[in-house]
Amino acid sequence: MPSSPSIEAEVMAAGAGAVSLPPEAWLELLALCQDESADRALLERLLDHWRVAHRADHAAVYLEREDRLELELASPAAGLAGARGLAWPQGMAWPQGMPGMPGMAGGDEGLPPSMEAAAASAAALEGADLGVVTFPGGCLLYSPRPPAVEGAAGGLGIEHGPLPLLLLSSLKILRLRQEIKDQQFQVNYRVVELESLYDVGLAVAATLDLEKLSEEILLRAVSLLDARRGALYILEGSRYRLQRTFGGDAAPWFEGGGPESESEKTPQIGETPATGETPKTPPSVRLRAFLAGESAAPPSELLPGAHYLLGVPIDIDGSPRGLLAVGDKESRRGVGPFPPSDRRTLGLFANQAAIALENARLHLQALEKERLEREMQLAADIQRRILPRGAPEVPGYELLGWNRPARQIGGDYYDLFQRQDGRVDLVVGDVSGKGMPAALMVSTLHSALHLLLDQVGVGPALLEMLNRHVFESSTSNKFITLLLAELEPASGRLTYLNAGHNPGILLHRPGNAGAAAEGAGAAAAELEVEELGASGLPIGVLSGSRFQARAVSLEPGDLLCIYSDGITEAESPADEEFGTARLLALLREHAHRPLAEVLEAIQAATGSFSAGLPQGDDQTLVLLRRRLG
Amino acid sequence: MKAGTSMTDSLNLTVDRRDGLAVIYTEGYINNQGGEEIARAAYKLLDEGFKVLLLNLAGTKIVNSIGISILIEIIEKMIEIEGKLGFCCLTPTIDKTFHIMGLAQYAPIFETEERAVAELAQHRG
Repeated sequence: MPSSPSIEAEVMAAGAGAVSLPPEAWLELLALCQDESADRALLERLLDHWRVAHRADHAAVYLEREDRLELELASPAAGLAGARGLAWPQGMAWPQGMPGMPGMAGGDEGLPPSMEAAAASAAALEGADLGVVTFPGGCLLYSPRPPAVEGAAGGLGIEHGPLPLLLLSSLKILRLRQEIKDQQFQVNYRVVELESLYDVGLAVAATLDLEKLSEEILLRAVSLLDARRGALYILEGSRYRLQRTFGGDAAPWFEGGGPESESEKTPQIGETPATGETPKTPPSVRLRAFLAGESAAPPSELLPGAHYLLGVPIDIDGSPRGLLAVGDKESRRGVGPFPPSDRRTLGLFANQAAIALENARLHLQALEKERLEREMQLAADIQRRILPRGAPEVPGYELLGWNRPARQIGGDYYDLFQRQDGRVDLVVGDVSGKGMPAALMVSTLHSALHLLLDQVGVGPALLEMLNRHVFESSTSNKFITLLLAELEPASGRLTYLNAGHNPGILLHRPGNAGAAAEGAGAAAAELEVEELGASGLPIGVLSGSRFQARAVSLEPGDLLCIYSDGITEAESPADEEFGTARLLALLREHAHRPLAEVLEAIQAATGSFSAGLPQGDDQTLVLLRRRLG
Repeated sequence: MKAGTSMTDSLNLTVDRRDGLAVIYTEGYINNQGGEEIARAAYKLLDEGFKVLLLNLAGTKIVNSIGISILIEIIEKMIEIEGKLGFCCLTPTIDKTFHIMGLAQYAPIFETEERAVAELAQHRG
């Protein structure tokens, strides 16, 4: 700035005509020079001397800070108070900050861009005659400006001596110290940033409380980016739900998270105007462009009222799960836009948020699974109590029941109970489907069956009433196959109703099945088979189903087997079914052995057949043999 | 705090003047605005003659770099006038930040207000 003489110029101009200070003043300055902690005091004393030498009433040093000049010190010293809002000089309000140096970023809009212009502006505003001296990194203003003297560079015309040199040196030292301090501050704050990311990482690993983590992540992002506001949204369907906000309200929901449709792909982001707020731009496109840093215009619902916004997506494996946004970056002068480096920092916090969200989701899933397992275990306990704990002792007969569900709980049901008059009821049922729904149907079947047996006894009416009940109380695709039989022990007469269930197998001891078998030997192969086939549709298929009761006779040595299809449909690794023929062969082979051994043989055979494959269906077996003699 | 709840960015100050010591209680964000409010309160207390100040940050969860720089200025001012400034009741995050930023070197940090008052009382004139 040619019109503003520098201190160096003044030094050159001063020549031998130095300002003379009293010896005690030099001694004081010397003492201050030797005291490392007295930089500022030295500068203040030098400025005082300089002001006096320049016959100025007031002098002030401004130092360059970022894009503006900050008042550093003043003479008289009381003037420094002006920087904190008090008037300086007396009755004159000088700004604490001034617009930047030429070539640097401009200051607030509307203020002059250069220091000279600023000084002139201040002088014009305040009516003062200001003098300006520039030096690297700052300037010195003084008032009033002395008249120009011929021969002095810049026309100051005052004898200076070493004072300006000392003042310049002190200012340089002060500025360097300030720069070091600022640099140290930045380095330290970078450490805070790294520590913060590390701490959030630890917090994410240590807790699954999404609420706390969201708050932690948002607070740290806001503070580290010097933001005034912030918000964390989680994507739910096509909408973003507000999880946390800081520094002001934000919309609880806003659209824009849906998948990109073909119609949305048509507008080219690169062609979007700078505002990005064209009415035809779909919200999801606008949001994606904003989060990708390609557009400065976010959806209006995101931190409404904020002047400057920065947002990044929260992605898990490339799939959007939410967004993290901050608004209005703070400086000592107010708020402004976020620099590009802040996007990276915010992105790191978004990554932590993504991990926290995923952990919390997996944790919730695990909790839900655990809850379901507990419920299944409870249901299994209830179902075990439904099934009989043993078979009733029936004189002249052997009776055995067995059930093994494919899962924790099953859809098979069997029951064995003896009435007061000695009759014995046998039930084997199979509910369509598996798991909890089937188990609930089993429970319904058990309750209804016991109630009806007491009311109407074994017969078509029972099954018809049961059928109506099940039909009305279950979904359309649910049904039950059921074989219900009632034995009169004394006669061996067995009345049965088969509602779509696998036929029961009755093996007659040779000679027991009528004329056809008479005279046959006792060999197993000659045992005669009688099937207890279906006499109606499964329960629950049609509301008006009819059922027919049939009867067979159990003679001494005869063996009855009622089973569920889990036995005959057990599969081998070659996808072959165990089948009725294999079951029948086993029954023939072991017909004369105790029922427990017959059961063991069937279990062993089906297990061997499946060769370790998981059991595909529930297995149930009821065996009844009339003893010989 | 419920999900979606807004956390405020404003700072509320309360000052408790005691015998030779003043405690400034903060509640909210120590940012540019909050820091300036603290500075105003601190300089007012200095003008009133208090040379020992305690900043109780129990109600503050968040502080940014601008707020820290203002707190540093207050510490420098306290050193300049040979006064004493202390902090107490900091969150672990703010405590760590103050240590890294060097504030703890010049202004002691105490876990409790009682302990801080007891220690700072020694500096009362």
